[in-house]
Amino acid sequence: MTEAMTRLVLQLALIITAARLGGYLFSRLRLPAVLGELVAGMVIGPYALGGLIPFHHEPLFALMQGGIPLSPELYGIATVASILLLFLSGLETDLAAFLRYSAVGSLVGIGGLIAAFGLGDLCAVWFGLAENFMDPTALFLGTISTATSVGITARILTEKRKMSSPEGVSILAGAVLDDVLGIVILAIVVGMTKVAGTAGHINWGQIGWIATKAIGFWLVATALGLLLARRITAVFKKFKSPDIITAFCFGLALFLAGLSEMAGLAMIIGAYITGLALSRTDLAHELQERLHGVYTLLVPVFFCTMGMLVDFSAMRGIFVFGLFFSLIAVAAKVIGCGLPAYLTKFNLRGSLRIGLGMLPRGEVALIVAGIGLTAGVITQQVFGVAIMMTLFTTLLAPPLLIQAFKGGTGLRRPEKEPGRETSSIEIELPSPDIAEFLRNRFIRALRREEFYVNRLHHAALAYQVRKDDILFMLVQENSTLRITAAEQHQRVARLMLLEELLSLSDLLDATQKMKSLQSMGSDLVSDLF
Amino acid sequence: MNLKKILSRDTILPELQADTKQGVIEEMVDFLAATGKLTDRTAALRAVLDREAKMSTGMQHGIAIPHGKTDAVNQLLVAVAIKRDGVDFAALDEKPSHIFIMTLSPENHTGPHIQFLAEISKVLSNPELREKLIRTADPDKMLTLLTT
Repeated sequence: MTEAMTRLVLQLALIITAARLGGYLFSRLRLPAVLGELVAGMVIGPYALGGLIPFHHEPLFALMQGGIPLSPELYGIATVASILLLFLSGLETDLAAFLRYSAVGSLVGIGGLIAAFGLGDLCAVWFGLAENFMDPTALFLGTISTATSVGITARILTEKRKMSSPEGVSILAGAVLDDVLGIVILAIVVGMTKVAGTAGHINWGQIGWIATKAIGFWLVATALGLLLARRITAVFKKFKSPDIITAFCFGLALFLAGLSEMAGLAMIIGAYITGLALSRTDLAHELQERLHGVYTLLVPVFFCTMGMLVDFSAMRGIFVFGLFFSLIAVAAKVIGCGLPAYLTKFNLRGSLRIGLGMLPRGEVALIVAGIGLTAGVITQQVFGVAIMMTLFTTLLAPPLLIQAFKGGTGLRRPEKEPGRETSSIEIELPSPDIAEFLRNRFIRALRREEFYVNRLHHAALAYQVRKDDILFMLVQENSTLRITAAEQHQRVARLMLLEELLSLSDLLDATQKMKSLQSMGSDLVSDLF
Repeated sequence: MNLKKILSRDTILPELQADTKQGVIEEMVDFLAATGKLTDRTAALRAVLDREAKMSTGMQHGIAIPHGKTDAVNQLLVAVAIKRDGVDFAALDEKPSHIFIMTLSPENHTGPHIQFLAEISKVLSNPELREKLIRTADPDKMLTLLTT
């Protein structure tokens, strides 16, 4: 036990440092940090340097039996990181936009799924790895190429502040559906393979039950989450401590992740649903901010361990097939997801963005491949192909995605967001110092009124103020304070600002009661020299 | 915010006797003191008057919102009062004030205190409702007007 824990701690020391270093080097090269983390994983993984570092007479990263070449402890930490990642992705989702784009998102998801599964499956037949379309190996290759790893796209879109763009929301909506259906297909394929191995006929009843359970969980959890989010957070808020609230919310995400797995879906789906439900509450920004520290530490561990799964030796011999399979996987998503997007709301640019956003495959593909490998349905070589495709799409997507998101709108007709008419209140103060004093007083007063005030990272002195349905922005520019809010939320902002403005007179009275500045200054410096 | 949770029949004073600004404030503080939830009447009165001294809380359309922060209360205390004939409250529009909403909130406690004022001012922005409120002498009807 102690040895296993010592191993884990040393592994983590190496992973956290290497991932950060990789991320740093890649961002210096103007490439996404996530790629650096993946590459760092490949370098220190059990198939490369990690296999050479000695620990108690064996490599530090020893190869494990089964599909996942990492110790259960380390994989456990990577799993928690993936849950955190998808929980935060859910929190960042603009649900109003998500629902507006869920129709397009669904078409995008289904289009990509059909194209990726069909072409992936046929690939195995074309290269003689399988006899026909229904061969288990072919079905597995089809399944492996379906599930989009939304984590990588989500991170790039977050870094580029495109998460709430129509394309970003369509990708997320599509990827969520794609993930759900991908897992349903996995359940069906595993079921078919098992049945095919014994009796030779397909047990549709069992497959139907697995599919119903998976889809049912998704629908029920999402609906309940959206309905109950505010009531649940109202109970959490009774504890009056942001630390406790954050812990409870993340606990809820972990709980739903576990339930989701028990229902036959991936854990990350439960985490995403929790995030999505909480994104409608006033806690969304507060949670993101409080979990940011854990995120920056833990999520690179996830991407690094994904890189560690890459076995270079398994790719030898079937490189040509691997490359072809990877290209097909790219084409399947770009066309399969891009086409429905093009036929609905988007122009060519927008459709390409969506297709490329759905490109990366990741943890689910690797997990599926692992299941196939342990079940003996696919060979070590086909597993290598799956890893190659995952790597290829993951490495290819970020630079293409960043490039594609340059330029104008991806919509055919730019939309006006409904119900968001806002106006601004501005007050000009005599100096930036007085504006700062008033801003701080105003923020303190807002917090006393139980508002959540969060400074936005990208702007200097810009704050988001939230409580239930009330949402406004507070910005200080030099000596001006500006509040931007919807008409119906201006009353409370105005009244509170008035009270704080009047408090300036208290400050004035207080300064007049002070001893003369000259004598205070003299007291400070007397006996100094 | 649900006004029903804060307002009740006992928080309504259907007709004020006083006919000066000082008198209205004192009468409303006395009304709140009578509930037994005010530990120090003088401190509460001083808090409201200090706030008035900075800037009158007489708004437009006959509404005034005298309020103060004081440790003489340990939760938000609210009173709604009417003066049919109106009182000169040094209002923004220089017209007499008829509807008075007084709040006393604890100095350092968190809670939606200003939000209550914002919410009730939203209700009172309806001219028809203001008319009805001034004409009615029945606290039950006044409560219904304010909360539905």
